[in-house]
Amino acid sequence: MNNRIKVNRARLNLTQDDLARKVNVRRETIVFLEKNKYNPSLKLAYDIAKVFDSKIEEIFIFE
Amino acid sequence: MKKKVLVFAVTALVLITTGLWYFSTNESLKLFDLLTFGIIVMVVSFALFAGFKRLTSAKRGEPAEDELSKKIMRKASSVSFYISLYLWLAIGYFSEKINYETHTIIGAGILGMAVIFGICWLVINFSGIRNE
Repeated sequence: MNNRIKVNRARLNLTQDDLARKVNVRRETIVFLEKNKYNPSLKLAYDIAKVFDSKIEEIFIFE
Repeated sequence: MKKKVLVFAVTALVLITTGLWYFSTNESLKLFDLLTFGIIVMVVSFALFAGFKRLTSAKRGEPAEDELSKKIMRKASSVSFYISLYLWLAIGYFSEKINYETHTIIGAGILGMAVIFGICWLVINFSGIRNE
């Protein structure tokens, strides 16, 4: 599964710390997500999509 | 916060006990004693590393634990338990061939389990968890 977290984070000018605080996870989790080393839970995927004001499938691409 | 205090309390207790053992012994330390001492220092360093990681997370306003850290802990626990079974099997096999007291062998086994868990945690923490 790929994702567009880094692109969307840059679009909103958010740091990894900012995004981590907004979705209530540690910064390391955001780092792992951006490196595609971790597939998030549905809740975390939903929270991240909500921060970016997008749909889950626009942020997380299932292949 | 309670967990952080507990980590540092246990670490301090282990260090004090090891220090007492190290300084109270009159005999010269053997290779096995030095090895045990080294492993204890390694385990304590790991606990301190984990404690400081939690502390820095808390300072940044992040949760001390989240879904990824819990998953890593769960996987490291299960993998290290599986590997530890083989460690105890090896200890059981070699215990008849080496001349150490039972409590020394059990102590070494417990320390070995701690080291195995530390290594598993480090490997999983750096390689990540995909498709689970």
